[in-house]
Amino acid sequence: MARRSNAEHAYVVAYDISDPKRWRRVFKTMKGYGRWLQLSVFHCRLDGGRRAEMASALEDLIDRDADHVIILDLGPAEDVEFAVESLGKSFQPIERRAVVI
Amino acid sequence: MSSSDTRSDPPAGSVPGQDALGQNLSDQGAAAPARPAARQGELALFAPPAAADEMLTPARMINEWVYCPRLAVLEWGRGEWAGNADTAAGRRAHKATETGAAPALPEPDALPDDRTLKTRRLLLASERLGLTAELDVIEADDGRVVPVDIKTGKRPHVAEGAYLPERVQVCVQALLLREAGYTCEEGALWFADSRERVRVELTDELIATALGAASDLRLTVAAGRLPPPLDHSQKCVRCSLLPICLPDEVNWFRKGAIARTPPPAATPALPLYVQTPGARVTKKDFTLVVQVEGEADRAVALDEVSELVLAGPVSLTTPAVHELLRRDVPVAWMSSGFWYLGSTGGQGPRSATVRTAQYALAADEPRRLAFARELVAAKIRNSRTILRRNWRGEDGERGPLLDRLALLADRTARAETAAALLGLEGEAAALYFRALPKLFTDAVAALPAFAFERRNRRPPADPVNACLSLIYAVLTRTFSSAISVAGLDPWKGVYHAERPGRPALALDLIEPFRPVLADSAVLMALNNGELAPDDFVSAAGGCNLKPKARRALIAAYERRLDQETTHPAFGYQVSMRRLIQIQARLFARFVCGEIPRYPHYVPR
Repeated sequence: MARRSNAEHAYVVAYDISDPKRWRRVFKTMKGYGRWLQLSVFHCRLDGGRRAEMASALEDLIDRDADHVIILDLGPAEDVEFAVESLGKSFQPIERRAVVI
Repeated sequence: MSSSDTRSDPPAGSVPGQDALGQNLSDQGAAAPARPAARQGELALFAPPAAADEMLTPARMINEWVYCPRLAVLEWGRGEWAGNADTAAGRRAHKATETGAAPALPEPDALPDDRTLKTRRLLLASERLGLTAELDVIEADDGRVVPVDIKTGKRPHVAEGAYLPERVQVCVQALLLREAGYTCEEGALWFADSRERVRVELTDELIATALGAASDLRLTVAAGRLPPPLDHSQKCVRCSLLPICLPDEVNWFRKGAIARTPPPAATPALPLYVQTPGARVTKKDFTLVVQVEGEADRAVALDEVSELVLAGPVSLTTPAVHELLRRDVPVAWMSSGFWYLGSTGGQGPRSATVRTAQYALAADEPRRLAFARELVAAKIRNSRTILRRNWRGEDGERGPLLDRLALLADRTARAETAAALLGLEGEAAALYFRALPKLFTDAVAALPAFAFERRNRRPPADPVNACLSLIYAVLTRTFSSAISVAGLDPWKGVYHAERPGRPALALDLIEPFRPVLADSAVLMALNNGELAPDDFVSAAGGCNLKPKARRALIAAYERRLDQETTHPAFGYQVSMRRLIQIQARLFARFVCGEIPRYPHYVPR
């Protein structure tokens, strides 16, 4: 069952999409929810509402029989120290900060 | 339908004790709005049928009225809305009803009696009852119809099978079906998470409750009354309107009870500033992409933008504007010097109630002066606090200065006119700004470029004044958008006179925040060495920040907004960013007369 808290959690979203057209759509949609980490893997920081919206948007896009999306909850974004080992490039948790360009 | 229109006698003349209303409703010729079996000595009076241009009460709002009257009036009467995890989950559960076959529902006499029929998403309305409803699913079987409402979550384990608000909602749907001529003997609720169906029996008592609630809601909205918040109710915790309703804060004024936790922000989104000349903002997929020549494009998820701030020659594409308007995200348009030109979108609630009350306050001279007195006092006290906290000068000078400011703050209470207040404010500001260099670190004080003698503007003559002017402008913009979201008009002030192009209300409300937010952000940036003398350009008697320095200073200000503070009235820890939103909402409550005074932010 989906989490309903309104506090922000960090997530890893990974997907296997069998059709390139749907894969492209899922990729585009995910850009609205998080940071592209690796091929078919996104890192997100979402409150309960956006998490539900993301799941709902993905649900609409995928073919339930052929595709697979997993949403891994890494815990509350503010409090949790991620036990992440990142080889090669570095991994940085998403910080909430106003963007000034 | 027509027969009932002509024959509908005024409900006020109803006979108490009349029953069998369910039958009345399914029977077209029967008397108007069904009346419950009133208890002895209780006269059931219902709102009259809806007038031609009156909006019909949605069944969903009657559910909310039974849950919390204030919630229903805020949403339906005041045009407020906010989502949260639960509303998003509800939408997700409802999607199931949008798919699948949806044949038209046949007329009552054409219902097939040999097979069942299922349809979805039906809109029903009745002017006689003053009600409307959107039905998720309607099942027809054997000449009878059953409305089924989809709910997220699990079935509650209560004797009636579901909580009263949900049963009332289904009941209203059933009444509307009866009104349309169908035979409807029961309703149902489908709980999507536990996949359980609950039968809703249409008892006389439930129908009476539903019609009574519908009537109360309509009359309350028509009277412009906002019911008081619930008192420390468990219902508030997960209510999506919590940041708008402020139950604990409003109750604090009524009972002196402590507000325990700050309300959550409506969304965790943050402002996006684009101030690099020549930058271009476009929409791509679900992001805003900022293109700056010679730099890699930056994409920011649309959901993460609470407000788009564009300063100077920056362009924004029409598709991006459309998307931002659709999401009700304001775009603040500012000059290169961050002079606030206006906003697009972000109009706040779909109602003018708060603005109307604001104009009434502005026209009420004694109330206006009383507010201005407290405002100026708060500003002087806060500038005193900044001096007290950050003093780096000689100790002997500090005490008399702080005493003098405290005296000026106390004197505001006796000011007879706005002009007298202006005098006190000016005197305090002169003392404060003269002492400002005493708050610089030695390293900053040693730099001739950062010498500061007095506050000047239009244009600012030196780097420190340039920084202050910029941050005051940004602070004004922060408040302008917060007060617009709260339904207030930024152009009509209480203390500041109205002048074209001047967001007078924003200028009013920022007064106490100038020292604690703006000045302290400038001090932070200077004392941390984030700004250097060569970050500024002087031209034509004015001084300006270079783009990189503006970015650094605005980032320092935004960091300051994320710092936590203790709310002086309510005692909880809250970020400055949320504090501003809370203060704007409280000011709206104050102008509407719901709370007796506006609690200024005066930290210790």
